[in-house]
Amino acid sequence: MTCEEFQRVLPELGSGHGIGQEEHLKSCRGCSNLVADLNTISREARVLQGSEEPSPWVWKSIEVALRQEGLIQPQLSHSRTPTLVLDWRLRWLVPLAATLLIVFGALIYQRGTGQPQTAQQQPPPAGVVTANLQATEAMGGEDLQLLETVGERMPSMRDTYEADLRSVNAYIRDAEQSAHSDPNDEVAQQYLQNAYEQKAMVYEMALDRSLP
Amino acid sequence: MQRATSYVVMLIVVSAAFAAAQTTHQELHFKVGRRASVSIVNQYGAISVKPGPGKVVAVTAILYSGKVEVDQSKSRRRVAVFSHLLEGADAQTGRVDYEVLVPADASVTLHSTTGPLHVEKLHGDMMVEGSTASVDVRDVSAGHIHIKTLNGPVTVTNVSDGLVEITSVGGDVALNAVNGSLVHVNSSSGKIHYDGDFGDGGDYSLTTHSGDIEAIAPAYASIEVVARSVQGTVEKDFPLQPEHTSFVPRAGSAFAGTMGEAASSVKLLSFSGKIHLKKR
Repeated sequence: MTCEEFQRVLPELGSGHGIGQEEHLKSCRGCSNLVADLNTISREARVLQGSEEPSPWVWKSIEVALRQEGLIQPQLSHSRTPTLVLDWRLRWLVPLAATLLIVFGALIYQRGTGQPQTAQQQPPPAGVVTANLQATEAMGGEDLQLLETVGERMPSMRDTYEADLRSVNAYIRDAEQSAHSDPNDEVAQQYLQNAYEQKAMVYEMALDRSLP
Repeated sequence: MQRATSYVVMLIVVSAAFAAAQTTHQELHFKVGRRASVSIVNQYGAISVKPGPGKVVAVTAILYSGKVEVDQSKSRRRVAVFSHLLEGADAQTGRVDYEVLVPADASVTLHSTTGPLHVEKLHGDMMVEGSTASVDVRDVSAGHIHIKTLNGPVTVTNVSDGLVEITSVGGDVALNAVNGSLVHVNSSSGKIHYDGDFGDGGDYSLTTHSGDIEAIAPAYASIEVVARSVQGTVEKDFPLQPEHTSFVPRAGSAFAGTMGEAASSVKLLSFSGKIHLKKR
């Protein structure tokens, strides 16, 4: 199978690949990278909420971009409605371009509303204690904002709060895994409740306005 | 050699006198009604609260420099005293030590970053909060004791008929002769040590994430106990009557059972710490 043949059938493949396509992917780096990129975009697009419909300018931008690339040509007909005519070899660019612009638009929208995305992490196996991984514990946006606030109000306490947040986040992660592995386990639920209480306390003390 | 020693002694005396000259004392007195509410907020320095005579709140403040002042507010039943840091104040120059006498039934709220914080012989409610401050509460009864620290160690001694809730991220918690209808300790990495009777038919819950738990009880304790550690080990010095639980007790990582009449409920839970139920 050649690259042209593979890319021609790519839009119809979905998540499954035939034997021929599999072998082509193994031998062709370019097509393999293309499939990986499309899967990444598809995965990221799923986290977008359905209510966040892109504004009309997004669709207009897609049309402008496709016209500039020469992928859209005005149809020579007497119809008042223009139709899209695409070369079959470049048909896969349409969903790719659309998805890229949707993701980009949604990111711009979310940043504008002050809702930072937190990095998704691969959870460690259930029951594994992560208390010793404090050095690499990733902080969410809210935690970083809290540390910034503490740093402004009480610079000498910033390190203490950071260490405690890491400790509490490790507690929450272990407790969540324990609770997920057995939702009926009352003790696991108790761990989770305690972990969240700890986090709430840290936030409350950091933001306590009674202390100057 | 003798002359050098004399010079050193003189230097120390002069320095002490100089330091003392920098501190100022301030006394405040407030008349209050029954069940008064007293609040002390002090970022740097000690707060000590004890019972005093009559319906009076007496505050003695020792200010360590001119970069801090003591402000106050008072309503009929509420007294608030707080340290106001001026520009350029730090942990040394902003330090104030408070000695407070309150009616024994007063409710007390203490906030401090560095502490230490000390409360004794009261029977009202108390809320004690310190970031790295050590907290020491002793000889109190019949009140709701609520203690929060980030890393400050907590010691609670001789509490009867109390409702005790302690939350600390990394501070060690020691409970000696603490009994009440509810005794809850929630720690993340701090150790918990309990030495008491688990009496009053109460609900005792000692939980940590990675800290160890050591509970010492007498042979006559009347408890229904559950102990579990996901990654750590559990040990007991008592033979327990088996009881039905929602989880399967596994030797070395969990046990459950009763002693005596099982009047009190005791939960010893740690995610990765060691748990030991010891016999006194």
